Amino acid sequence: MKHKLALAAAAVSVALAGCATSTDNGGNEGGGGGGDEPVTLRFQSLAFQETTIQATKDIVSAWNEENPDVQVEYVQGSWDSVQDQLVTQFQGGTAPDIIQYESAAMSQFAEQGYLADLSEHLSDEVMDAVSDDVWETVTYDDQVIAAPTLLQSYVVFANRQRLEQAGVEIPEGDTWSWDDFQAAAEATSAGGNNKFGLGWGLGDPTATMMSLGLNFGADYFEGEGEDVSIDVGEAELTLPERIHEMVYDDGSLDPVTLTQSGGDVMPGFLKGRYAMTVQGSYNAQTLSESAPEGLDWMVMPALEAESAAQAANPQTLSVSAQSEDVEGAAAFIDYYMQPENLAKVAMGDWLIPASSESADVILEETGGENGWDAILASGEHLTKAPFQSALSYPQWKDQIATPAFQRYLGDEISADELATQLTDGWESVSR
Amino acid sequence: MSIGRTTPLARTGQYLLLAAYVVFLGFPLLWLLSTALTSTRDISLGATSLIPTSPTFENFGDAVRRANLVEAGRNSLVVALAATGITVLLSLPAAYGLARFRTFLRPVTLGWVLISQVFPTILVIIPLFLILKQFRLVDSLPGLTIVHVVFMLPFSLWMMIGFVANIPVDLEEAGAMDGAGRLRILVSIVFPLLRPGVVATALFAFISSWNEFLFALVLIQSPEKVTLPLTLSRFVGAEGQVQLGALAAASLLATIPSLVFFALIQRRLTSGLLSGAVKG
Amino acid sequence: MTTTQMTSPPTPPVPPTPPDKAGARGRKPGRLKGDAWPLLLPALIPIALFSVYPLLQGIYLGFTDSRAGLNRVTHFTGVENYQDLMGNDLFWSSFRIGMIWAFSVTGLQFVAAMGLALLLHQDLRLRWLARTLSLVPWAMPPVVVAIMWRLMFDPNSGPISTTSQALGLGQLNLLGSFETALPAVIVVGVWSGMPHTTITLLAGLQGVDDSVHEAAAVDGAGAWRRFRHITLPELRPVIVAITSLNFVWNVNTFDLIYVLTNGGPGGRTMLPMLFAYNEAFRYGNFGTAAAMGNVMVVIIVGMLLFYLRSRLKETKA
Repeated sequence: MKHKLALAAAAVSVALAGCATSTDNGGNEGGGGGGDEPVTLRFQSLAFQETTIQATKDIVSAWNEENPDVQVEYVQGSWDSVQDQLVTQFQGGTAPDIIQYESAAMSQFAEQGYLADLSEHLSDEVMDAVSDDVWETVTYDDQVIAAPTLLQSYVVFANRQRLEQAGVEIPEGDTWSWDDFQAAAEATSAGGNNKFGLGWGLGDPTATMMSLGLNFGADYFEGEGEDVSIDVGEAELTLPERIHEMVYDDGSLDPVTLTQSGGDVMPGFLKGRYAMTVQGSYNAQTLSESAPEGLDWMVMPALEAESAAQAANPQTLSVSAQSEDVEGAAAFIDYYMQPENLAKVAMGDWLIPASSESADVILEETGGENGWDAILASGEHLTKAPFQSALSYPQWKDQIATPAFQRYLGDEISADELATQLTDGWESVSR
Repeated sequence: MSIGRTTPLARTGQYLLLAAYVVFLGFPLLWLLSTALTSTRDISLGATSLIPTSPTFENFGDAVRRANLVEAGRNSLVVALAATGITVLLSLPAAYGLARFRTFLRPVTLGWVLISQVFPTILVIIPLFLILKQFRLVDSLPGLTIVHVVFMLPFSLWMMIGFVANIPVDLEEAGAMDGAGRLRILVSIVFPLLRPGVVATALFAFISSWNEFLFALVLIQSPEKVTLPLTLSRFVGAEGQVQLGALAAASLLATIPSLVFFALIQRRLTSGLLSGAVKG
Repeated sequence: MTTTQMTSPPTPPVPPTPPDKAGARGRKPGRLKGDAWPLLLPALIPIALFSVYPLLQGIYLGFTDSRAGLNRVTHFTGVENYQDLMGNDLFWSSFRIGMIWAFSVTGLQFVAAMGLALLLHQDLRLRWLARTLSLVPWAMPPVVVAIMWRLMFDPNSGPISTTSQALGLGQLNLLGSFETALPAVIVVGVWSGMPHTTITLLAGLQGVDDSVHEAAAVDGAGAWRRFRHITLPELRPVIVAITSLNFVWNVNTFDLIYVLTNGGPGGRTMLPMLFAYNEAFRYGNFGTAAAMGNVMVVIIVGMLLFYLRSRLKETKA
């Protein structure tokens, strides 16, 4: 009996010998690409609208036809789970070669050493077609860690009929002032009947606050990488306070929508319950597809206070540092970024392409219909915002900012408390 | 408590209470069904009702097309069946050994059953992930199967030990006296008597594996390897798309196999086991 | 205690009284001679390798600075993680929510399941329906349970909100508003925990000796008194076991919340397991997450010991 026990113990310990504690990463055995064997690269796409999925797949198959040696395999990912998924994929050595995500989240992975530098691999045409401002959002430690593809701006969709009924003047200029916007919301809501001037899906408010906050000069952060400080002052508090005012003082913004997503608010807008709704530009797709006959909708000019600036937080394509063919993967990204290709994807998602040439293609193809002119025009106001360089931003967003903004919008805490929570919270997560 | 003397008033109260339970337990299920049968348009207009006015099956088509149900269903089935088979195969002899032999492993195993309940999965899952990575079993269905087996084993063992202990040793001894070998005794006397136990253990294993979420969430990343709970959880969020009908349809489809499995043995389970369980 | 020997649990989570309690019929373990090892090894090796070992490793990880990153070296940092956790308000607030959740769900589960079990023990018509319904949640994936209740709670099309609107009380967004989110998910927790609690208690009830009841009834004891003084004491071991297990499972709930609210709104339903998961798999802080797990274990085990000891004393008294 004794020796058998010893044997068993030995068997177990042999089996365990392979398992070290270290969390380092194996992977990366393939060596450089471009050899004789054709390589297959996995491209994890987050496209979710059917039109975009199709456009993306078309690009992939066109590429595969032209490049028999570097085959790209389309893999479907999802925006909801991409953060956890990338952490586990990188850690498990199973990350896709080409990764779609957004710039604000990529610096974390760059810091962990998981992303390849693309600066050497992208063509000059692609580099030149995108503004320096946008390139800055994907530069970390002097390395280009991603190619910016599509940008989202926040726009106001309006029900023309309800605006006119309430005697609201339809703005003609390039921008629309916040004061006029607020007045319009109040004017259109004065009817009781469970109808509101505005529905605003702020269930996940942080991105909106960071981006539209720039209208009021709210830049929140200063510095880069691990050395970033936060300052929540008057500029930062203006946007939350304005929204708060519309809910609790003006009664023009439906409080239920504050806990919903933008998509959840759309049905209410379609039914005429809200005269206006603030949405990511991509929701124009829902409108163009499922707006009922009688609904005359329009995209209002960009909102403006001190400026009309919004944060550029582009969707991105990156290459895993562990990919067996970084060069091939980067070449595919370059191909994806070609004006015609990017335009196809952008039109599928109703987002603004990062490349100006591509925007021209869209304007030409759509003739600016269905709000495209206003959406593309809003792209001119997109600039780099400091939060993108803050390494702990994703964690601060989830754990601190989102709950704090939600509590403030839910009228649970005061603006001062909001400022304190945002500031103290930053110090605790960025430790 | 069931003896006479129940006044009509008390009876009525009991029935009212029972009705309340039936509504609490059953209404959500019905609602799931009605939502699955209501068109996206009607749902967005807030026109869902318990009995759909114009039932439609379009959601089911949508669900299958959009939520990757077929592939995920196949993966779930493969993992659940494999995990069930392995769990039963491993726990049957082990439970016999633990029930019949005097070994220090008996208290150890029972202790482990309790410990494994108390420790949060999060504590296990990080190192498990790193270990599986060494064996190249991350993002693989065999890896997930192994994990399911390992985490169902303690409880299966516990269940099975009870069944083995319920078989009188005298039967085996009688067999031995008739000159039957150990193996023959096992195969022809013990295993047939253990059939209800095997069924119960298999049921438990299948449903546990079919429903399991956290391990799959951490271990599986490729879309072609996801299991049903995983694909459903991703379908929920699908970026602000209001697709409640398809979501409900997908959920229903995903529940059917374990419900069927469950219904098949439920009768035997409750009649056979419950009574057997209670008699001391 | 031996009257309720539940050797064969109808649902897995039923804690069978260890078989050796059944001595009466000569089923004492260890009667057979020979070696058990060959029978046990195939089951024990995988458990040791993929369960015991990772658990030990996980406990150890809680004392290191393990983080996500390419070729990152892990260092032993002693109690540093725990010092940090002491000052981590988010973790403690999540822990508090976890305790509110675990205690309410366990308590309500017990009360609801006890009521149902008593009814099912009666000779009522339609009790097959209630019994089947009470078992169904167990066969459903928790993810589906969560989706189903999301539909129930949906502010636009869910029956709860539409009823409230029809009554003129306005739209209800139970999962989305601060005050109601936690109670709403607690209801879901109770619903999904009904099967094993009910069946366990029912099995216990069926083990209670009817003749004692009859005698008491003849003596003129009312239903409530009989329940208090005969049924409850007889059931005590079963009740202690099922509530302890329920408590532990509820503390460790993950999937329901992940799908229902993902911790929102404003972190109001951020159960500790989800919090630790995020720490590990969203932000890559494996060491901190493991440390959270360790803290949880210590506290839970402490609570359990306290509970079990006080129950045992009561039994003896």
